[in-house]
Amino acid sequence: MRSLLSVLVFVLAAVVSAISTSGNRLLVILDDVAEKESYSKFLGDLESRGFQLSFENPKSESLALFRLGERSYDHILFFPTKTKGLGPNLTPNLLVDFLNAKGNILVTLSSGVAAPNSLVSLLAELDIQLPADRTGLVVDHFNYDASSAADMHDVLLLPPPTRIRPDVKDFFGAGAGQDEVLVFPRGVGASLGASELLTPILRAPRTAYSYNPKEQGEVVDDLFAAGEQLALVSAFQARNSARLTLVGSAEMLQDKCFEASEVSKADGKKVAGTFNREFAKRVSGWTFNEIGVLRVNWIEHHLEEAGATNESNPKIYRIKNDVKYTISLSEYAWNAWKPFAVPDSDALQLEFSMLSPFHRLPLTLDATHSSDTAAAYSVLFKLPDQHGIFNFKVNYKRPFLSNVEEKNTVSVRHMAHNEWPRSFVISGAWPWIAGVGVTVTGWLAFCALWMFSAPVGAKRETKKTQ
Amino acid sequence: MSAEPLQGLASVGKGQSTRGLLRVIILALIAGAAISSRLFSVIRFESIIHEFDPWFNFRATKYLVANGFYNFWDWFDDRTWHPLGRVTGGTLYPGLMVTSGVIYHALRALTIPVDIRNICVLLAPAFSGLTAWAAYLLTNEMTPSSSAGLLAALFMGIAPGYISRSVAGSYDNEAIAIFLLVFTFYLWIKALKQGSMLWGALCALFYGYMVASWGGYAFITCLLPLHAFVLICMGRYSTRLYVAYTTWYALGTLASMQIPFVGFLPVKTSEHMPALGIFGFLQLLAFLDYVRSAIPSRQFQTFLWLFAGGTFGLGLLGLVIATSAGFIAPWSGRFYSLWDTGYAKIHIPIIASVSEHQPTAWPAFFFDLNMLIWLFPVGVYLCFQQLADEHVFIVVYALFGSYFAGVMVRLMLTLTPVVCVAAAMAVSALLDTYLSAKSPKPQETQAADGSEGKKAVKSGLRSTGKPVVGVYGLWGKSMMVSALAVYLLVFVLHCTWVTSNAYSSPSVVLASRLPDGSQHIIDDYREAYQWLRQNTHEDAKIMSWWDYGYQIGGMADRPTLVDNNTWNNTHIATVGKAMSSREEVSYPIMRQHEVDYVLVVFGGLLGYSGDDINKFLWMVRIAEGIWPDEVSERAFFTPRGEYRVDGEATETMKNSLMYKMSYYNYNNLFPPGQAVDRMRGARLPEVGPNLNTLEEAFTSENWIIRIYKVKDLDNLGRDHASAAAFDRGHKKKKVTKRKGPRVLRVD
Repeated sequence: MRSLLSVLVFVLAAVVSAISTSGNRLLVILDDVAEKESYSKFLGDLESRGFQLSFENPKSESLALFRLGERSYDHILFFPTKTKGLGPNLTPNLLVDFLNAKGNILVTLSSGVAAPNSLVSLLAELDIQLPADRTGLVVDHFNYDASSAADMHDVLLLPPPTRIRPDVKDFFGAGAGQDEVLVFPRGVGASLGASELLTPILRAPRTAYSYNPKEQGEVVDDLFAAGEQLALVSAFQARNSARLTLVGSAEMLQDKCFEASEVSKADGKKVAGTFNREFAKRVSGWTFNEIGVLRVNWIEHHLEEAGATNESNPKIYRIKNDVKYTISLSEYAWNAWKPFAVPDSDALQLEFSMLSPFHRLPLTLDATHSSDTAAAYSVLFKLPDQHGIFNFKVNYKRPFLSNVEEKNTVSVRHMAHNEWPRSFVISGAWPWIAGVGVTVTGWLAFCALWMFSAPVGAKRETKKTQ
Repeated sequence: MSAEPLQGLASVGKGQSTRGLLRVIILALIAGAAISSRLFSVIRFESIIHEFDPWFNFRATKYLVANGFYNFWDWFDDRTWHPLGRVTGGTLYPGLMVTSGVIYHALRALTIPVDIRNICVLLAPAFSGLTAWAAYLLTNEMTPSSSAGLLAALFMGIAPGYISRSVAGSYDNEAIAIFLLVFTFYLWIKALKQGSMLWGALCALFYGYMVASWGGYAFITCLLPLHAFVLICMGRYSTRLYVAYTTWYALGTLASMQIPFVGFLPVKTSEHMPALGIFGFLQLLAFLDYVRSAIPSRQFQTFLWLFAGGTFGLGLLGLVIATSAGFIAPWSGRFYSLWDTGYAKIHIPIIASVSEHQPTAWPAFFFDLNMLIWLFPVGVYLCFQQLADEHVFIVVYALFGSYFAGVMVRLMLTLTPVVCVAAAMAVSALLDTYLSAKSPKPQETQAADGSEGKKAVKSGLRSTGKPVVGVYGLWGKSMMVSALAVYLLVFVLHCTWVTSNAYSSPSVVLASRLPDGSQHIIDDYREAYQWLRQNTHEDAKIMSWWDYGYQIGGMADRPTLVDNNTWNNTHIATVGKAMSSREEVSYPIMRQHEVDYVLVVFGGLLGYSGDDINKFLWMVRIAEGIWPDEVSERAFFTPRGEYRVDGEATETMKNSLMYKMSYYNYNNLFPPGQAVDRMRGARLPEVGPNLNTLEEAFTSENWIIRIYKVKDLDNLGRDHASAAAFDRGHKKKKVTKRKGPRVLRVD
């Protein structure tokens, strides 16, 4: 009864805020509430998608990320703040705890404002390096906005991002118009380390570089990063699928960048429209678990053999059993769970492993168990000829998709003494069986012969001796 | 000395039936003494299973009782040797568990509800009573004096050499195996003496039971053929021997092959080849016997030599070829270590690492057998005097038993029965001589001399022809008898003392004395196992050194990586490597094996010597055997060749996981710089070790058991060292100037 009630409450809650898969409490950190006017469209979009925004000053005493050990917010959005530190309520350790508790963070920076210490050390933990002086400015002398930064060349006009690998779904640039551009004004570029949890969403063009505007030299002698090594918007997804996105320029989320009329390319051409609004929606949507979220609905494995009981998820199998494994996956896209379709150039694989995989098999779509909201993938295979404690493992980790790491442990036992073929079935055993038969009958025959053949001579001898 | 009461006593035992009744009563009393002297541990502590292996036997018995025989037979145990599992049903000697199971069900059928644990705890004492009875029977076959048998039963009942493995709670294979050993020998002697197929078949039956119970059955498998061989060499081949041996061998081998763990070993391995060889040899002899009766003796001589030489040569050649071609497995390592005590140390560290596989120190013989050890040669000498077939057996058994007992501590167990039998013969011979109160009359002696005169003349030696000199003085007799009585009393005292002090500790629970003399129980093991049972997930895998595997499985009911059934040396070496390597090396190993908790035993606080740091070198050696490039024993010794744990320990030592786990946080118990390891008497460095990949989960009251939880991978993808540094509040240093070429990210 109690569980039923809680399910009911949960369903109601889901209906009210059917938006993010991980809650709608969004904390927005900014210096001044007045600032939010310039982001009105972006914040308005967020609100219209169902987020409850609470605005806080980093120095606010009432600010607490955790209450009684539980997260008070589901997501945090950092706008650039002038304060050097973020105070005791937003220390890097607290932010790491927030990520570990599956909270999501969207960080925006600006070259005009020094990034707070707290965020810098948090990003350093994630292997994201910011320019040393914290006021590195990304400039590009080829792709700049001629109307607003004709001299400084620090307002970049970029094509919408494309997919970074062929097997990755294009979440951020898909559907952009041919001549739509992304405006990236006065931003900070970051240099990403080799961590596999990091993925750049938007990279600087080959001609861009980062420099310190305070150094007015002719030559940039110590270059922080240049070209595609400079990540303008980058995504981090922790092992528990908590997400952190770093947007190098907060200004690109401002209302003025959402307007197309105000920019023109370096060669003077007017731009049809900016992609910023859609891009902002997608970046925030991804960060706050509205897209790219995978869910494992159920996993089932059973013995697929003639005459066997089809018990689901048994704890133990025998070697060389035929086993069917099925996993059901859904993907969340903005407001609904949809069946997850594996990209054509990718494969969803099942590992059957003990210490190391004995099988690594591609899972294929199983239409009979799929539905409108879930896709089932299955594979039928023969267990290896090795007893032990095995795991059915599905380890599907792709950029921008939440991690699927499922492990189901089963024991695989040896053949029991009565599961071997009987000796008379094996043709190789016939000579031996015949041998046994011959020996037995021979011995019996000998005994009979011995017993029924009276020793005639012996009788006489005994009589004589008597 | 008053002779009347003695004579009165003797006259009571004159009648045949009275004697029989007395014998039964005495045997029952001996069995009672044997059982009650083994109950020290139950009285002092509680009804608890002891040590290590018994915990597995206990667990297996519970499985048998709960799931029935066939499930036990096909038992695949997925809670040991994770993730390999163990085909337990096919790799154990089921005799012990089945015996307990049968007793359990029999008692239930009699509507006596008994906890299976109590059956297991009391099985060994119960069988020790039977062993005493078997020793009585065996000795009675050796000598006509009935007192020898009773003495042997008494010795067998309380000899510490046997008690060491059969106190209450010591639920090990040896608990029933020694009874089976002695009883099989008795049946063998019986079969041999009578040339009876029935006794031979019974002997084979009990041999089969023995095979089902203990790996030491190979002792019988080698001793019986050896006895037969010696008899043949002495020219004592007879049809009795032929019948007894062939019956035993044919039926016994078939019986032994029914045990899955033994399977085809009796026809495949070198240990079993002597039995097969003697079996063939006996067939040849029987054939020759037949031929000799058929052809003239002159021709027979040449025929014999050609035939015997030819067959022997062919047989040997065949054996060598079969061994080298791999049809017959060569001697196993454990057997090599029986011949060359240094063998195991060099080649198989895992065998050498077990303390009971060490060569015996000579005081152990006195400790375990006391006066029996010097009575033993006397008994053997008496056997030589008579030297019938059965006495040859005692001589052969004595020789081999002594050798093996000298090589391996635990084989003292197989020596004990023959020592008891021989010593009982010696004591009874002494008592028979000195206890008869009546003095021999000179005339009688003369008469006896006269009747034996012919024999004496035959022997030809003048000295033997002299009249037998009797013991006339009562004074001398009583001196001798009272001395023996004192010895026997001291023997009983010694046995009781040894049993109570040395062999009755469960070793799961440690007892110590407080300054005021009261007993203090150190119960860290059970405390820790109980913690594991109640605070960890049911399938949490525990990594520990293999010594504790059975106990964790039995008491904490958690899966383990390795345990005392050391069937997979590589897996043990893997654990050894994880323990002896740096954290960065150990962590991937632990991840791969899905380890959740690591358990170490640390005796530094209490001065407990059986801890893991003291066993550590064995871990290193075993790991080095498999990964000589990655683990090196030398690196754990200082340049001066010392094994140290203090500030001057080597870097490898200090960085090893075992060292870190043992001394983690140990400093906090002491004032700064005062931390002392009381076991090794070492002053520890001021700064204790740092653990990144593990976190302390539990430490028992006296710090004997320490349990660590293996951390998951870092959520943010950092390595554990930097994650731990971040948690401690160290900010990452900014990389301002990079040396060398830039590392570019490639996506």
